[in-house]
Amino acid sequence: MIFLAIFSFAIKLILHYHITWRMYEIRFHGRGGQGGRMAAEAYALAAFLEGNYAVSFPFFGAERRGAPVRAFTRVDNKKIRIKTQVYEPDYVVVLDETLIETEDVLEGLKEDGMVIINTQRKPEEVKLSKPVKCATVDATSIALDILGRPITNTSILGAIAKATGKVSIESIEKAIIEKFGERLGKEAGEKNALAARTAYEKTLIGVSQGGKAFVPRKKWLPDVNEMPVGGATPAMKTDAGLVGIGSFIENKTGDWRTFIPSIDKEKCIGCRFCWFYCPEGCIEMVDNKANVNYDYCKGCGICANECPVNAIEMKREVRT
Amino acid sequence: MNIKDLPEEDYFTSGHTACAGCPAPAIVRNMMKIFGKDTIVYTPANCLLVFSGTYPYLAWKVPYLHEAFENTGSCISGVARAYKKIGKKALVVGIAGDGGTYDIGIQALSGAAERDEDVIYVCYDNEAYMNTGIQRSGSTPYGASTTTTPAGKKIPGKLRHKKDMAEIMRAHEIPYMATLSISHPKDFLNKVEKAKNVKGFRYLHVFSPCPTGWRFDPSKSVEIARKAVQSGMWTLYEAEYGEITGIYKPKKKIPVEEYIKGQGRFRHLTPEMIEELQRWVDRKWKRLYGEEP
Repeated sequence: MIFLAIFSFAIKLILHYHITWRMYEIRFHGRGGQGGRMAAEAYALAAFLEGNYAVSFPFFGAERRGAPVRAFTRVDNKKIRIKTQVYEPDYVVVLDETLIETEDVLEGLKEDGMVIINTQRKPEEVKLSKPVKCATVDATSIALDILGRPITNTSILGAIAKATGKVSIESIEKAIIEKFGERLGKEAGEKNALAARTAYEKTLIGVSQGGKAFVPRKKWLPDVNEMPVGGATPAMKTDAGLVGIGSFIENKTGDWRTFIPSIDKEKCIGCRFCWFYCPEGCIEMVDNKANVNYDYCKGCGICANECPVNAIEMKREVRT
Repeated sequence: MNIKDLPEEDYFTSGHTACAGCPAPAIVRNMMKIFGKDTIVYTPANCLLVFSGTYPYLAWKVPYLHEAFENTGSCISGVARAYKKIGKKALVVGIAGDGGTYDIGIQALSGAAERDEDVIYVCYDNEAYMNTGIQRSGSTPYGASTTTTPAGKKIPGKLRHKKDMAEIMRAHEIPYMATLSISHPKDFLNKVEKAKNVKGFRYLHVFSPCPTGWRFDPSKSVEIARKAVQSGMWTLYEAEYGEITGIYKPKKKIPVEEYIKGQGRFRHLTPEMIEELQRWVDRKWKRLYGEEP
């Protein structure tokens, strides 16, 4: 009798570990500098602390702070042999909501998958390519409140713990204190853990709207006859837009920013300091007053910091 | 030349992918306004190469090329001579980072300077290899934490002082060399304009704080460049044929401690280390100004 009980328990255990437990994969969409890679690593560490196997790695490219980047985490209860990028994630995490406008973050998401988004909106207000399980949290506000900087990676970890239930918030906190504390000091580690806990409590879970259409960006793929000699490319209009010299003008970098400058035209004395210092060259002089071209402004705040008459103010941008 | 005299026309467009708050695009954009459209730009491997274009997209509106990391000096020499040969007038400018100037490119640079090629060489100095992920270079100052000199319990950041590249170039006795900072626009523009009109090898060395690598708030880039000049960490001067012809002296010299404040790469510095950095500044000050600070 006892033998049978032990046997059935063992069977259950095996079933639990080898059949019901399947590997899950997370894809993080963020912008360079928001800490997508650190989030992926800290999540892997939290899963590891609970006795699992976990790997995490970023997508390497020529990314700069502010440019869209991806990072990946895989968790399993046995050794992980697969080394590729994650193409069919179980969970998609979006650290910057402007990214859901420009690319289909749901690409390859499994049928019963879930998306976790940093936004001020409720899950029902988020429009994606199809209706999916969706969790939202205003991680940027939480990060600004607690850390004083719009670095959302630790807040979003709390939201992942709440939304997926795969890892406990306690493990997330432990992983953050270990990972961030080691790099930034004990106090910073604890503050980041608090950000995760706050986000955990504020996360909303629901279902997103669907129906948003994405047109994939065309690529310029010249054949051998069209290819300029030596790759030297003059400015040319192609099906994929402008290429060659000066063509970066079509690359709108305005969605990189968190803060937005507003210029008080009454105060502006037309000194052109902001026009000179602006790294994006997005300040134009209209009637000898500074005017911002928001298509390119990355929200660095140099203009506001350097304005001799304090006519420029940086505000948190609310995107609708 | 004043900011108000600068032309509106840009030869370096918006839409590039530099980090928010990086002063390098402002530096090259304003330089290009003065250099004008008859300019050929060369860049070796550096951040500027990456953020100013990923083929086939490009922020430059002038002929532009890039080659290997170490041969900025030889490439711009070649381009300038080719233009001379076909009888076209063009300004050839090479823009390299501190790694491509202080370490990897110094041999080709020194050769081009010694041959007195008719080119402008610009070094934009952000004090580490930022493009590849903040590795120390010959330009990294004492105490700074980088990924190859991480501040730990035993070794507190970089142990050697910054190499004085500007002085090395002055010793080449070239027709014109100058150090610039984006925080001093009038001085900046005058030097760029002067460099444009001099014949022979010209060397411009621009100080360019890096918000990502130095770990400070992106809005403070220009402020930190200004503090570098005020503290003596960066000295603005120009020289013709090896003789210093102009040197900017800050009205009030601020202690180094004030400059390093707010920069994450110096956060671990002990009072002794700050003193050591101050001693280096004072030595440099005495050498360049010829008087006690």
